[in-house]
Amino acid sequence: MNINSDIIDVRRTYDYLRKAQTHLVQSSEIATACVCQNLFKLDYPFGATRSDKDYLVANTVHDIMSLCMSGPILENWHSELENCEQITKKIVKESSEIVNTVIKDTLEGAHQENRFVEDDFETQVNDIYNGLIIGMAKRLMKKYERPSRVLTEVTITNIKDHHEGRIDALLEYSSGGYGLLDWKSYDLSNTISGREKWQLIANTLLANFRYCRNEDDWTGHNFSCIVHNGGVYFPKIETTRKGVERIKTNRKFAHMVLCGERVHVQRPKFCPVCDKGLEGSKECLFYQRDARLAHEGKLPAQYEKMTKQFFAKRYAILKERAETHLHKHVVYAMISKHGEEEALRRLEKIGILCRGYSFDFDIDEKVMFSRADDNIPLEPRRIVRIIGMEIGKSLLSCINEQASVMEIRDNKITLSFRSKTAVRRAKRQLFHLPIILLRDELNLTRSMLRPIHQFHKLAADMLIPGELLV
Amino acid sequence: MTVKLNPDQSRILNWRVKSGGVAGVIGPAGCGKTTTGSFLAVKMICEGYAKNVLLVAFTNSAANEFARELSMVLGPEGSKFLCVRCGYAPGADPRLPIPFSNNIEFVRSKKIVICTTQSLKRLSASIRFENMIIDEAGIERLEHLLSPFALGINQLGIHLMKENISYEANNIIELASKCGIVATVVGDPKQSRPIGLADHDLSAMEWVLKCAKYDTLFTTHRLPDRLAMLVDEFADYGGLNSAPEIASRRFGAKYDIDENFIDILNPHEVITWVNLNGNEMMGGPSSWYNEVEAKACIRICRELKRVAPSKSISIVTRYTEQRRTISKYLQHLDVETRVLTTTGALGTQADIVIFSLVRNNPERLVGALGSLQDLNVAISRSKEKLIIVGSFEMMLNGLTGSYSSNPRHKQNFPQKLARLIDKKYGMVVEAPRVLCN
Repeated sequence: MNINSDIIDVRRTYDYLRKAQTHLVQSSEIATACVCQNLFKLDYPFGATRSDKDYLVANTVHDIMSLCMSGPILENWHSELENCEQITKKIVKESSEIVNTVIKDTLEGAHQENRFVEDDFETQVNDIYNGLIIGMAKRLMKKYERPSRVLTEVTITNIKDHHEGRIDALLEYSSGGYGLLDWKSYDLSNTISGREKWQLIANTLLANFRYCRNEDDWTGHNFSCIVHNGGVYFPKIETTRKGVERIKTNRKFAHMVLCGERVHVQRPKFCPVCDKGLEGSKECLFYQRDARLAHEGKLPAQYEKMTKQFFAKRYAILKERAETHLHKHVVYAMISKHGEEEALRRLEKIGILCRGYSFDFDIDEKVMFSRADDNIPLEPRRIVRIIGMEIGKSLLSCINEQASVMEIRDNKITLSFRSKTAVRRAKRQLFHLPIILLRDELNLTRSMLRPIHQFHKLAADMLIPGELLV
Repeated sequence: MTVKLNPDQSRILNWRVKSGGVAGVIGPAGCGKTTTGSFLAVKMICEGYAKNVLLVAFTNSAANEFARELSMVLGPEGSKFLCVRCGYAPGADPRLPIPFSNNIEFVRSKKIVICTTQSLKRLSASIRFENMIIDEAGIERLEHLLSPFALGINQLGIHLMKENISYEANNIIELASKCGIVATVVGDPKQSRPIGLADHDLSAMEWVLKCAKYDTLFTTHRLPDRLAMLVDEFADYGGLNSAPEIASRRFGAKYDIDENFIDILNPHEVITWVNLNGNEMMGGPSSWYNEVEAKACIRICRELKRVAPSKSISIVTRYTEQRRTISKYLQHLDVETRVLTTTGALGTQADIVIFSLVRNNPERLVGALGSLQDLNVAISRSKEKLIIVGSFEMMLNGLTGSYSSNPRHKQNFPQKLARLIDKKYGMVVEAPRVLCN
């Protein structure tokens, strides 16, 4: 096959997929749909939920955990030791350097943006970290043997099932088994929605996919749990198995909604948001009222016309969101058609991905790679997914990080990572693997839906007669 | 204030300070859209028409351009005192005196806030602006406008209005105006169009022009007379003209021009088309490149830098793969030249602009190069000289997207451009042998 037909083949795949639906549903979104399908619609397509909260503390704890898991925590995983407090103290002591560095980096970033930082930020971070470690030492380390390897912050994409998620930690055992951890910086016993449980199960399906190439293959699965500020939550095996069906149903529902299909919403007998009158319930009732008035044919014509415009805009934004996953869909389609090696060769020829890089050095968030020749089909500012090829794993479930291209000079490329922590993490678990740079996109569409929701409500205020609003 | 406004700009300023609601300002290339926007913001604040103003741009470089203009209008101390730049910290130009912050209390304490559309989410939803100026709306979709608009909603005004008005608003722009939003939307639908927007759909700017009042800036401070006339006739602006002080500006070489380049760099000719037949190649998922043209651009660029070292040069192309190819060759030369796609070139200018066409195929398919917006941007960046590199015959007889149902896309713009340059405003020269391999 000559060069041109290889290129035409890839371009045809792009053309075809551009017209198809390339949506992926995130595990967190599936979890929301599992709680209540109306709640998912509140996010997509309505855009009614967006909190102004700053998650600085929670994000910092996540960063710390992502570095400490494969360091002090793994090193001190002695299940035979009885004194959990001693283990906890040892881990906390040995991880103090990591904790301080991450806190320093976070504060530097916050200072640069002149963001508000609470006075007790450092204390909060340390307290939550200590809480997580206590939970792990007491429950997890006692119950499970030391894993042979820990991977953190792994994004897994399962194109076939339209599913993507980022797993906080994967624990790998020499037997081939694996465990899955999710951490929450709050106390799980104070939450009522159960959303965290659904997210964990959704992520477990992704872990199954990563290790067995089939989300329904549970042969290697050892455990999944949530490590939180008050302990560790292990869902029962039966709960997990039963939950899988619910996950799949709601994943399908969410995917259909994103694709703009009309789907009947099944409201649960008890919604932990609406029935408790929590944040978001007013918005949910607003759209329920809209649907009721439309069904009864009572909506004023102008308002109806306006809402059609709003929904057209909403689905245009969702289409944009789908396009951010286009490259991954092309990779999947090409691999399915030609097999991995041939697909990678063709994709490399057209510049969708490039291989053969080796890590040179890093400074702060910047990392320099080099390769043998200077044919680098990338440009500054392009977003890439850096994938570490793992033997036996599907390409889109291998360890990866996202970065943007800073500079290309001769055979060298400089990438800018999201944070210094991401670089440190990648140095531990990614850079020693054969590297692939795959074109990627940022998804910035979520924040665009909120103003449409605000204007939708304004239109209702102005155009629906008061007596109907009651 | 050291910057002086022309009569068009003054008229628009006086109109917008006194009128409310949403309105549009069309600004062809070099007509001072950003300058007008900056002056408008300053006038609103200094003369008490608004307590605070939000300046929104689509890209960080355009937001920085706003900040730069404001620093010139207000001076370093004044701009530091009155303005704040917020959003994405690495995107802000640190050389400017305007402080950067996302701290909501700090932002509230300032009168003029500069931000990009995407970064508005970093501002608290509770902050409100009495007036806003939105730049480069031609490249935005209607939904992009709603993010800044949401920060201008006047709840009190809505309740007061609801008492008096009938239930009317036919579209989102009308609704926004009735919600007390005061916004000047600036852009040029003939220079830009949002990526991926369907033919039948309108850009944010086109929505504003359709649903609200608007005015046009007609005096360009960038394009010399011949280029201004070409752009005016090509894009059908209906009266674009050069400011008197720059109308007769021409390219001047400091050293003797090599005989191979004499026709191309002829100082008397503002627009030159170098007819070159390189083959197009596919690159990336939907892009194209042309090696022969890329090398020709580099050679012209090298000669320009030799004969006129102080001149700024930009190479513009429609295709990212061509930009990458040219950049790759350029990195081996010690020549400072910007290589831009037509999208990236929006809002930029240079003394000399080289436009690489890329497309050249036996089927005569011009593809995306045939759009009015891309061609218009490419030919309207230059302050002294425009050099077009590519197949003249291909453009003259090329097939564009005439399958489109939209009548404005049925025109063959490459053909129109080729005819205008050949017959009226420029010169078509055969590429010398040194550019053909």
